[in-house]
Amino acid sequence: MKVNQNCVGCGQCVAYCPYDAIIVFGRAGMNEKCVECGVCVDYCPVCAIAEE
Amino acid sequence: MKAAIIGAGLGGLLAGAKLSKSGYDVEIFERLPFIGGRFTNLDYKGFKLSTGALHMIPHGSRGPLAQMLREVGADVKIRDSNPMAVIMKDTGETIAFHDFRKGLSLTKRVKLGTILACSLKFKPKSNISFKDWILKYFDDDFLLKLADSFCGWALSLQAKDVPAREMLEIIDNMYRFKGSGVPVGGCGVVTGALADVIKSNGGRIHTLSCVEKIITDNNRAKGISANGKTIATDIVISDIGHLETSRMFECGDEVYLEKIKKVTPSKGIKMCLSSDEPLLGHSGVFFTPYAERINGINEVTNADPTLAPPAKHLIMSHQAVISDDLNQEINLGLLDLKKLFPGKKYEVLLIQSYSNGWPVNRASSGSDIGNRTPLCNLYVVGDGAKGKGGIEVEGVALGVRNAMKDIGV
Ligand SMILES: Cc1cc2nc3c(=O)[nH]c(=O)nc-3n(C[C@H](O)[C@H](O)[C@H](O)COP(=O)(O)OP(=O)(O)OC[C@H]3O[C@@H](n4cnc5c(N)ncnc54)[C@H](O)[C@@H]3O)c2cc1C
Ligand code: SF4
Ligand code: SF4
Repeated sequence: MKVNQNCVGCGQCVAYCPYDAIIVFGRAGMNEKCVECGVCVDYCPVCAIAEE
Repeated sequence: MKAAIIGAGLGGLLAGAKLSKSGYDVEIFERLPFIGGRFTNLDYKGFKLSTGALHMIPHGSRGPLAQMLREVGADVKIRDSNPMAVIMKDTGETIAFHDFRKGLSLTKRVKLGTILACSLKFKPKSNISFKDWILKYFDDDFLLKLADSFCGWALSLQAKDVPAREMLEIIDNMYRFKGSGVPVGGCGVVTGALADVIKSNGGRIHTLSCVEKIITDNNRAKGISANGKTIATDIVISDIGHLETSRMFECGDEVYLEKIKKVTPSKGIKMCLSSDEPLLGHSGVFFTPYAERINGINEVTNADPTLAPPAKHLIMSHQAVISDDLNQEINLGLLDLKKLFPGKKYEVLLIQSYSNGWPVNRASSGSDIGNRTPLCNLYVVGDGAKGKGGIEVEGVALGVRNAMKDIGV
């Protein structure tokens, strides 16, 4: 998963990721736990997440 | 009569509840998989965090939002905060918010009373900022810091960026409606109750439904297109601010386009903390005028313990964003927390920042331009079109009320 410049760091995706794979600190980033399930994509309010 | 609503945030849902109650056939389109926008719960590690709000209703059970919820029959219990707020002084001691004058010398106290009374009656017509307005009468560090702390907490702005006119409207409303409250169950209960009202009035709410276009005919909206499907309608309500709304149709009104360019969103950072011991011990706002970045903190579990797992507290800090370096802003906020709660044990659950397309307020307070658009049957509601003197969701409620009056319901 790739997070683009639209990300504001709201952390919404963090709460919805079933694999605890997102860390947010001003911006979101995925760690090695990400299984590319795609759940987070729809939950981003600014369409910042897309598949790589 | 049919009303199509873009966005199921608080503004869209309030408008939907009001319209459906008045007999409109309401259909709401929401892009996200859930409703509530920036005013709903976000379940995380057993805590009820939120998508935006600090779970606070600025004027509690007596304010414009509470009034409107009662009007449409939304079942929400609001627990008013007592104390409403306290202020932490530079010495570390706290004073009640309504006693803030005690932070001033006697002469300044008397002067402030006179000036405030006079200015509330005759609000400044110029664009003087709240900071400059204070400086005009007082040279007082405490007052300036308190102004920044209040504006930062309530509006996610610095006092220099809030017009004095708007701030005095807010103070007026504080005298009229009094202080804040926490909706039992969190802010999601408010938007959830509104959705129930809409559905019980026959309205429909679609999630994962993105509106791409407003279809026009001779300066009227005659339909919208959502997920590629066209829906005919008599009126359109947009909950996504003027700018984004204007991009959905061909807008030739240059005056309007110029006006909306000046509407700026406000940025903020919220930090959600967990603690075994209460850090504040009450559910009012804890203003921190002497912190480097943090403007205020609340501990909502004192109003509603179910917002955290058993024996835990949920504490949230808020700060306006001052510089362009977001990482540094967050780090300064974290440092503030350490200094404010020395020796206390707490865990940082989540750090949430807001700006641009998902801000604290779409129109920073004082930059709202009303609900009307160049299309006669298209209205903007929400925090991009707040009513005068309305803090956050109170401004949303006042704005919706204005729009509904205009529509005639
Ligand atoms: C950190 C923070 C703390 C806050 N604290 C408080 C507080 O304690 N008290 C308070 O009163 N206020 C608070 N606020 C402000 C409050 O949350 C907002 O003012 C309020 O939620 C805004 O509601 P809205 O309906 O205007 O917008 P939104 O909630 O943003 O609703 C708009 C909806 O439209 C949807 N949408 C966008 N584009 C489309 C499209 N093309 N098609 C379909 N749907 C679309 C969005 O997904 C969204 O759900 C806070 C805000 C933040 C960020
Ligand atoms: S793709 Fe799935 S696992 Fe990866 S970050 Fe998104 S929700 Fe989490
Ligand atoms: S939900 Fe979107 S904007 Fe919010 S932190 Fe995740 S990627 Fe960034």
